[in-house]
Amino acid sequence: MVRGRVVLNNAVESIRGTTLLLVEPVTADNLAARNGAGGGKTLVVADRLSPHEGQMVGFVEGREAANAYWPGNVPVDAYCALIVENYDFQPPNGPETQK
Amino acid sequence: MFLARIDGTLTSTAKHATLEACRFLLGQRLDADGQASGEPIVLLDRLGARHGSTVLVSTDGDIARKWLGNTAPARLIVVGIVDQVYTG
Repeated sequence: MVRGRVVLNNAVESIRGTTLLLVEPVTADNLAARNGAGGGKTLVVADRLSPHEGQMVGFVEGREAANAYWPGNVPVDAYCALIVENYDFQPPNGPETQK
Repeated sequence: MFLARIDGTLTSTAKHATLEACRFLLGQRLDADGQASGEPIVLLDRLGARHGSTVLVSTDGDIARKWLGNTAPARLIVVGIVDQVYTG
C-alpha cells in the first residue's frame, strides 16, 4: 500500500530526480481481508507510475530494481513495477491459519 | 530459490512497459513443513501454474531480462512446477 512520498533535499548525484514512494507491504491476512491495511515493514521504492496514496502496488526488490534505469546506473534497490487493478487471493485454509 | 504455493492472481493496467504481456500470480513462500510464511509475493509465470500449485521460484532476475529485456524490473520468476516434495 502506498503510504506517502519522500522528497530529498541533498542527495547523491545519481539518485537526483528519482521519485520515491513510501510503501507498506501487505500481509496475507490483510490481503485476504481487503481492508486497505499493510502490516509489513515500510520501505522506500523508486517510482515512475505515480500511484495515489492508499493504492496497492507491486514492487521489485534487489538489483533488478535498477534495471528500470538501464543503461543508467541509479542506486535504487526497490522499484514500483505495477499498480494493482484487481486480485484474487484465496489461501487454502483461510488467513487465520497462515503463519 | 524457494518453494511457494499459488494462492491467486493479480491484474494491473498501469505497469512498467516490459511487463505488458506478463501473467502475474500471487503466492506465499513455504517453509519445510509446507506452511506459508512471510508476506504474499507477486510471481511471473510462463509455465501455467494454477491455483494451489507448488512452484519453484528463482530470485535471479536474469531470466526476466532475457524474456522481457534489459530494463525489466522483475525478480521472482516461476522456474518450475513441483511434482512432489520429500522431507525427512
